[in-house]
Amino acid sequence: MEFQAVVMAAGGGSRMMDLTSSIPKPLLPVGNKPLIWYPLNLLERVGFEEVIVVTTKDVQKLLNLDTKMKLDIVCIPDDADMGTADSLRHIHQKIKTDVLVLSCDLITDVALHEVVDLFRAYDATLSMLMKKAHEPTEVAPGQKGKKKPVEQRDFIGVDDTGKRLLFMANEADLDEELVIKRSLLQKHPRMHIRTGLADAHLYCLKKYVVDFLVENRSFTSIRSELIPYLVRKQFSSPASFQGQGDREQDPKSLDIYRFLKDDSFLESASAKPCWNDHRGDLNEALHGGKVRCYVHIMKEGLCYRVNTLGLYIEANRQVPKLLPVLCPEELLVHVSAQVTDKGLVGSDSIIGSSTQIGEKTSIKHSVIGTSCSIKDKVKITNCVIMNSVTVEEGCSLQNSLLCHNAMIEKGADIKDCLIGSGQRLEPKCK
Amino acid sequence: MMAARGSGRRGAGPGASRGPDPQEEPPPPLQAVLVADSFNRRFFPVSKDRPRVLLPLANVAMIDYTLEFLTATGVEETFVFCCWKSAEIKEHLHKSKWCRRTSPNTVRIVTSDLYRSLGDVLRDVDAKSLVRSDFLLVSGDVVSNINVSVALEEHRMRRKLEKNVSVMTMIFKESSPGHRARCQEDDVILAMDSTTNRILHYQRTQGLKHFSFPMSLFQSNIETVEVRHDLLDCHISICSPQVAELFTDNFDYQTRDDFVRGLLVNEEVLGNQIHMHVTAEEYGACVSNLLMYEAVCSDIIRRWVYPITPEMNFTDDETKSCTHAKHNIYRGAEVSLGHGSVLDENVLVGQGTVIGSKCSIANSVIGQHCKIGDEVTLDGAFLWNGVHVADHVEIRQSIVCDEAEVKEWVKLSPHCVLTSQVVVGPNITLPEGTVISLHPPDEEEDDEDEFSDDSGVNKEENKVKLKGYNKAQVGSEGRGYLWKADDENEVDEEEQRQSLWGPLLKPEEESETESDLSLGSEQPDSRAASPQLDDIKVFQNEVLGTLQRGEEENISCDNLVLEINSLKYAYNIGLKEVMQVLSKVVLEFPLQQLNAELDPQRYCGMLIPLLKNWTPVFKNYIKRASDHLDALSAIEEFFLEHDGLRTSIAKVLMTFYQREILAEETILCWFSQRNASDKGRQLRKNQQLQKFIQWLEEAEEESSEGDQE
Repeated sequence: MEFQAVVMAAGGGSRMMDLTSSIPKPLLPVGNKPLIWYPLNLLERVGFEEVIVVTTKDVQKLLNLDTKMKLDIVCIPDDADMGTADSLRHIHQKIKTDVLVLSCDLITDVALHEVVDLFRAYDATLSMLMKKAHEPTEVAPGQKGKKKPVEQRDFIGVDDTGKRLLFMANEADLDEELVIKRSLLQKHPRMHIRTGLADAHLYCLKKYVVDFLVENRSFTSIRSELIPYLVRKQFSSPASFQGQGDREQDPKSLDIYRFLKDDSFLESASAKPCWNDHRGDLNEALHGGKVRCYVHIMKEGLCYRVNTLGLYIEANRQVPKLLPVLCPEELLVHVSAQVTDKGLVGSDSIIGSSTQIGEKTSIKHSVIGTSCSIKDKVKITNCVIMNSVTVEEGCSLQNSLLCHNAMIEKGADIKDCLIGSGQRLEPKCK
Repeated sequence: MMAARGSGRRGAGPGASRGPDPQEEPPPPLQAVLVADSFNRRFFPVSKDRPRVLLPLANVAMIDYTLEFLTATGVEETFVFCCWKSAEIKEHLHKSKWCRRTSPNTVRIVTSDLYRSLGDVLRDVDAKSLVRSDFLLVSGDVVSNINVSVALEEHRMRRKLEKNVSVMTMIFKESSPGHRARCQEDDVILAMDSTTNRILHYQRTQGLKHFSFPMSLFQSNIETVEVRHDLLDCHISICSPQVAELFTDNFDYQTRDDFVRGLLVNEEVLGNQIHMHVTAEEYGACVSNLLMYEAVCSDIIRRWVYPITPEMNFTDDETKSCTHAKHNIYRGAEVSLGHGSVLDENVLVGQGTVIGSKCSIANSVIGQHCKIGDEVTLDGAFLWNGVHVADHVEIRQSIVCDEAEVKEWVKLSPHCVLTSQVVVGPNITLPEGTVISLHPPDEEEDDEDEFSDDSGVNKEENKVKLKGYNKAQVGSEGRGYLWKADDENEVDEEEQRQSLWGPLLKPEEESETESDLSLGSEQPDSRAASPQLDDIKVFQNEVLGTLQRGEEENISCDNLVLEINSLKYAYNIGLKEVMQVLSKVVLEFPLQQLNAELDPQRYCGMLIPLLKNWTPVFKNYIKRASDHLDALSAIEEFFLEHDGLRTSIAKVLMTFYQREILAEETILCWFSQRNASDKGRQLRKNQQLQKFIQWLEEAEEESSEGDQE
């Protein structure tokens, strides 16, 4: 077994409280599948047989997935505010090899081997996945008027090949300027700094990084602390040996270098007189440095991290294209769904099982959950409708999100709205 | 084939090497502005005898390389601007092939003693309207074989597409850090837009460990900003006539760096852009210091500047012809080599030079009519014309100028410079970096005006009047004065004067120091000290000064308040900070007299009278409940910092309470604060403090009981 896969599903979804207050984030339906199904499916497709899922008790109770993989579900205490690094530390005893860490909110059709190959080819400490940041195409319902908070941009520095990750900084940590160390530029004099990238939260990490995390308790988050730390450490030298004694007493100054396994072959190679350290040119032997971070930047394909309402809606819009690829045996319109006028259901819509759809009802660009009841003459465009929703006759729904058990009475005309679960809308309301 | 191209360039028909054929409208003939003055003293004292552009580089004057480059790249008219020793330059040019009628490149010489900088030259270009169209701007020490036609085409295209937006295209050569032609002095770091080649940020590295890039670079719609540290500035730029105008408009632009910086900073206002062109294959370098001199000279000998090689003799000067043999050995006419002498590799020997027997010579350039004795070792030596080297001499990586003489058994360590007609020896070893000149160092001042105004003259050094030659320094038969190049006592405010040879290139950055580590690795934001903090610091010092004076001169509290208020406005400090600073300053006040020992008893004894004196000052600032708390937190901070004084906190608080500066409710409130840090909690466990608090509580109860009754 080369990798152990870990899916982080303990996050609360704090950026989309409207939805996650009633449904835990990993279980939010996207294309009538719980969100966590997507990363698990990704792993299953590439042949993983076992996955560790870190989640909360609530989720575990409700989690009911059909997957061939063996799920090892680890719950973290509800009250503990644990970051992803904490979670990884929590399960470290289960980790015997290098790990592949995924977030439960990742929906992508990336060829996973691209990331893993980087990891293998360069004997990397870390390899990760990034993609072009996604521009929301349409306004998220329920957020009209609200000014979207400007996301803090990440500055990602990659080398000329676009693979090696050299630099990482977040706008929030910077004042007026971006500071780059000279030693970095000496080794990599050409650095491309890109801003329009988003982290997909998919990481391959060496086993020793986990060991390091176990010892060094100051890290709480993989994304915001561990990864920047590793990226920085690439270009700083290992702590000097003299300081070793003091360091052992002071756990805070633990250095990642202490956890590197010395490669005896390399040692012997560098001792040989003909060892070529490529002085002058830049192609350092063995990729230079002992800590190496690489990144795969997706140029095309779908990649969403569902962590805001806008992205949730967007993901729901996009999955109809993705699902036939991910699980071809399932139809977009479930067999048990009763659709009267098949012609009026667009090919880009998904309809869940046991849902009934009345006559002359047209559905476009929409996802409709299970056990819904949509009556006659309803027009649904660009909507996400969760389970057991009832929509009475003559309604018109546009660009809206209807949570579980919502009731829409006759003749309602809804546009750009978010209807909470169990809500009931009076007839003819707009 | 290459040779044919090279000779074609030299001949009368340069058409072949001229840029691409004009298509629609033939572009006007290409002009160039060659600045034959560096406006600095980097080559002093070598350039005292001869202007820098005439210094021989592989036995050919630098300016000839520059003119050859310009001609080969298709320039048809060159303006040479001279200032320092202009007559010599003029004479040199008149004798050269550039002023012959057959020259495809018309050289016009413009001289003025008034030029002080590149800016002056370009302002003159503008005033005289010398240029009609885009022109090349180079300095007279550029050695290059770059064909600028591609860059020129790009430049013209840009100017056509977006009218007059891009004013300049700078030419860079790719060379990785650690390359010997990358000297620290000229090292640059750039940020560019990789799709358009637009320069966004340009900065000299100047030995900095960290480079900062303003965030504004990343704000615009550029997806990828490329940071490049692998470029060597060739000091060749394609300029539009606008450049000269811009220099006229901005009188503070002195150098090209000023100009580039000014343009980049004001890009949004003025809308001018600078682009770049990077060449990977061709050669381009600027001989800006002796390190570069050595590097470029070696490159010429090693044929990196092909087709400009010594045996090409592009200057058409009979005396400079030489033959090329394997291992890059070049020999001029009438060279005699003694028995047992070896020319190892990369050696150029000029016409008429006589070399004795059993010499070993490698990586060196020897000028014309030199005499070299027996058993001489030369490695990396640059001997100019007419140099006499006696027997058993060893010269490594040094420059010996015209007609200098090195006597027997002299050893020159690396980076020595002997200027014209200097004599050293016999039997002396010159330490590394020795510079000896016939001009005494203090002569500098006399001709300072003629030269440049920005180079500092060190008075201290000049006080040492050398009457005669110091035999200990130059040897018993020596003639010349030692120039101190790298002394530490020389503190120049403008720039720390580098050694004549220039800073050495460190091929590999040494591992980061500890401080660097902690700075870069653990907490990236910890170093982000806001400027406001500095203001507070200054303010604190000022307050301290005010209080000190108040104490010494017995100034009334009202006046102190006035002074502090005016300081508060001067540094734009908020009321809260004033409170904190004031408390801190007062509490620290007795520490000055206490020196290092922290005796709580004595501390209290000194502090309490002070507090009593300054009660009105405190009362003036501490009014609202929040003020009380701020003052208390400042007091707490102080006592946390000074462990030894902790026991006195109760007394201090008591005084504050008694003087009615702090009210009991707020003290109690502070004491029971929930969000206190661990240390703060410890502080609160202090016995005396607890007693004091207890006492306060009881007092309060009593008073409230009293109220009820």
